[in-house]
Amino acid sequence: MNFLSDIGHVLLTADLWRATLEAAALLLLPALGGVISERSGVVNIAMEGMMLTGAFFAVVADLAWHNPWLAALVGIAAGGSMALIHAVVSIRFRADQIVSGIAINIFAAGLTLFLVQRIFGLQDVGHVGQSELLPYINVPVLDQIPFFGRVLFQQNVVVYAAIVLLVVVQLMLFRTRLGLRIRSVGEHPQAADTAGINVYAIRYGAVITSGLLSGLAGAFLAIGISNTFVPNMTDGRGYIALAAVIFGKWTPIGAFVACLIFGFGQAIYDANSVIHVSQYLLSMLPYILTLVVLAGVVGRSIPPAADGVPYAPENE
Amino acid sequence: MAHSRLKFLGVAGVALMLLAACGSSNNTPAAKVYKIGLVTDIGGLNDKSFNHLADLGLEKAKTDFKIQGDVVESKSGDDYVPNLTNFASKKYDLVIGVGFLMQTAMGTVSGQFPTVNFAIIDGAGTDANFNDLKHPNVQSLYFSEQDAGAMVGALAGLLEKQNKAKKNAGVISAVGGISIPPVNHYIAGYKWAATMVDPGIKVLVGYSNDFTDPAKCKNVAANQISSKADILFQVAGGCGLGVLQAAGQAGVYSVGVDADQKDADPSVIASALKKVDIATYTAIQNVVNGKFAGGALTFNIANDGAGYALDNLTVSADIQAALDDLKAKIKAGTLTPPADIPA
Amino acid sequence: MAAIRRIAGGFAVPLGSVVFAFLVGGLIVAVTGGNPFAAYQGLLCGGLGIACSTTTGENPALQISTTIVFFTPLLMTGVAVALPFRAGLFNIGAEGQLLAGSVACTIIGIKFSSLPAPILLPMVLIGGTLAGAIWAGVPGVLKATIGAHEVVTTIMLNYIAQWLVRFLIVGGPLQAANGFSASTPIGAGARLPLFLPNDPGLVIFGLPAGVYRVHTGLLIGLVALVVFAVVLWRTSLGYEIRAVGQSQRAARYGGINVARTIIITMLIAGAFSGLAGAIQIAGVDHNLTDKYFNDTTGFDAIAVALLGLGSAVGILFASILFGALHAGGSVMQADAGISSSLVQILQALILFSIAANFLRVLRFPTLGLRRPAKAPPRATTP
Repeated sequence: MNFLSDIGHVLLTADLWRATLEAAALLLLPALGGVISERSGVVNIAMEGMMLTGAFFAVVADLAWHNPWLAALVGIAAGGSMALIHAVVSIRFRADQIVSGIAINIFAAGLTLFLVQRIFGLQDVGHVGQSELLPYINVPVLDQIPFFGRVLFQQNVVVYAAIVLLVVVQLMLFRTRLGLRIRSVGEHPQAADTAGINVYAIRYGAVITSGLLSGLAGAFLAIGISNTFVPNMTDGRGYIALAAVIFGKWTPIGAFVACLIFGFGQAIYDANSVIHVSQYLLSMLPYILTLVVLAGVVGRSIPPAADGVPYAPENE
Repeated sequence: MAHSRLKFLGVAGVALMLLAACGSSNNTPAAKVYKIGLVTDIGGLNDKSFNHLADLGLEKAKTDFKIQGDVVESKSGDDYVPNLTNFASKKYDLVIGVGFLMQTAMGTVSGQFPTVNFAIIDGAGTDANFNDLKHPNVQSLYFSEQDAGAMVGALAGLLEKQNKAKKNAGVISAVGGISIPPVNHYIAGYKWAATMVDPGIKVLVGYSNDFTDPAKCKNVAANQISSKADILFQVAGGCGLGVLQAAGQAGVYSVGVDADQKDADPSVIASALKKVDIATYTAIQNVVNGKFAGGALTFNIANDGAGYALDNLTVSADIQAALDDLKAKIKAGTLTPPADIPA
Repeated sequence: MAAIRRIAGGFAVPLGSVVFAFLVGGLIVAVTGGNPFAAYQGLLCGGLGIACSTTTGENPALQISTTIVFFTPLLMTGVAVALPFRAGLFNIGAEGQLLAGSVACTIIGIKFSSLPAPILLPMVLIGGTLAGAIWAGVPGVLKATIGAHEVVTTIMLNYIAQWLVRFLIVGGPLQAANGFSASTPIGAGARLPLFLPNDPGLVIFGLPAGVYRVHTGLLIGLVALVVFAVVLWRTSLGYEIRAVGQSQRAARYGGINVARTIIITMLIAGAFSGLAGAIQIAGVDHNLTDKYFNDTTGFDAIAVALLGLGSAVGILFASILFGALHAGGSVMQADAGISSSLVQILQALILFSIAANFLRVLRFPTLGLRRPAKAPPRATTP
């Protein structure tokens, strides 16, 4: 079985795992945002749209100002702005959060395409110069460790940021007072309100944060991994991130595990030039694997009790 | 926006001509404004490759001829028939379909409107079994992408052989979008020429199954680079830009496709050119000059419809000579790059 | 009179949302240098065949026919999303179920291509329906037995279905000829009849009859809507579905087998979606093509189900709207030069304003439109 040995060889290369971690980090950022948002009780399926918006504006800013850090900030802000729309519609207008989320995704897809045509017309969207991208950083000394050095310490700056954020969010949610407040707002908003917590502020903050994180992911994709904007370049990653959130039972660590599985699948698939088996069957791997793990290990995923229910206190 | 400006110009132009015609006592009729409809494929107009080039050809024709050019982007395969039918039903003088994927749609619509002229890039009007229906009102604009692929393949082979590439392990690669003929023609020429020039060379071929997501192609390329490929040929449209980028980041060489992609990344040393803009322009020109005829036009290296460009690289005189020699031989027909990827 | 007013009242909010969206959309066009009037004329003409300008020469009948072809599958996929919503499930997998139906229809249509229409056509349609049902049944079973969240499982199956399609037609067993990313066509007997015969000599409304591609799948879609409404409101199953959607715990105390209801709901939903996929192949495409690599019907269905407030009549109008926007977008671009992505912006704006008005709708007694479905209540504790 030729392909088994091919896969075996590929599995032993550090590059595969490096690519896995990179793809996982790209998914992790929106997933963290989704976790925070849903823990506060606001269903957020708009990661796809927020990422795409972030990607677009990051590229536009980088082309204009030739500064990846500023451009990343613009991307982050763009994601946050999309999230703000979702927040206002869901929290202030108490709209159905699924409708709002879907609407954001459609809006982002249409808006970015529309703006591409309006701003660039017939021209190419343009490429960001090599030196103006979010840089890959080789951590000195550590990156010389055989195998693990390549996997862990030769990544893009955003990947390192994502790992840090993973730890920060996990600790924040489960070990700090802020996290306790967020979770209580998501489980029993009435009780939290009575206890003096500002439910609206927490929820707004959580949703906007999810937008900032998704925007960062978009910027990473557009001016870190890639160097231009291509319509619909996010390609469903926002929905995968959503699946990761649920799969991970609304915990950052759990979501990260799911992101690793998907990242691995992506990386294995991209190695199709050197593995001699149908690339299409190969690409089903991460999805089948997720189903199996979900069925066998994860089981029931119970969301926060007040997830998706707009807060309407009795005395209003 | 270009179209309202154009319409204004068109109307103003016609008005001026009518005035001129009234002013003079001659009997030349007012010049006819030809209506040209362009239906793009799903990549959209900013795909940096052939939809964009077709549009460029249309724009050039607008400056040279009195035409009204309208463009519709197909968002999905569902749109091919309605978009082609819309133009045909309005009796446009020429309806151009861009892309191999809309052949059956072209076959259907051109059969329903035998008096309307059609042109299709990369294909023919076919039936559901992809047999060419040979409708007399359809002009196929074919490209011998393998000619272009061969030129860049020869360049790659020569560089490897003379150890002028970056890693010089004798491995080059190509990343295709989807395994369809226009993509495979390029790769076929590439592999054929490289192997001819450097018989020991290894050519890796991978597909991303995507024409839009650069990150996907970047990863496919990264895998090839870790298998020691140091010249990567992208044949994947918008996705393929990721290949160029991966090469740049790894410090190896890359080759662009369809249009000259030298600005896409400093690692681009050449681009395989497919002059879709010239083909589009030619088709429109034929209609305007009353010379439209059904059948097939082939654009290849002999009539400069396909070719290559060197980017960001100066080659030594002997490599240039070898390339010129190959080009002459292909033109003359002494050497013919294959259309299918050699084993 | 009062009934008419109530029905009209039920339409007021969705209609108001559409108007609002068009106003904002027009603003966006104007602000970015386009002509909103030309844009909307293009949309109206292309989508509904009205307000077509004589200079551009669109044929209204052709435009209406295109719109119908576009919205036909949305009728069924809209139901495929709306029905599980009623049970508290979010079927984001309508796309995968549709693909499963398309694949099944194609395989049967090719394998048995020599069979005559009265046998083959029902075979492909039933085959597609069953395939879709299975594709949704798996998440249903997983949800009912171990509580695996249907959003994850259906998204996974969406991707698996897409890759299956690619596997089959790019270098795979169904591929038409070397290098073509499409399958061989299905047999003639598997084709859904068109409303107008494809006779080259027949000219209707100034165009050859063959350009009007409206097929009998439309009738099937309309029947599907009726079936949906009947099942949901007139059968005990429908009652159980709605009860489970309101509260699983209460339903269980009421003696309803929640697990069974969930499974059956997903099976039926998948069946509708699979049928839509089969109808697309049998009525329009006649073979499996690579358009399915990025088909969005199943996702548009989510918007349609939400916009239609989960009712049969609502889904009908929402489908027509989406189909009209799709058809209109191309004409808008051809005539007014506005990118058809404006259509997506309009869709999003409509959804936003519908969502923001949602609660107010719930307070009106809506006869003519049933009680709108809420999003799946997230309290899934048993």
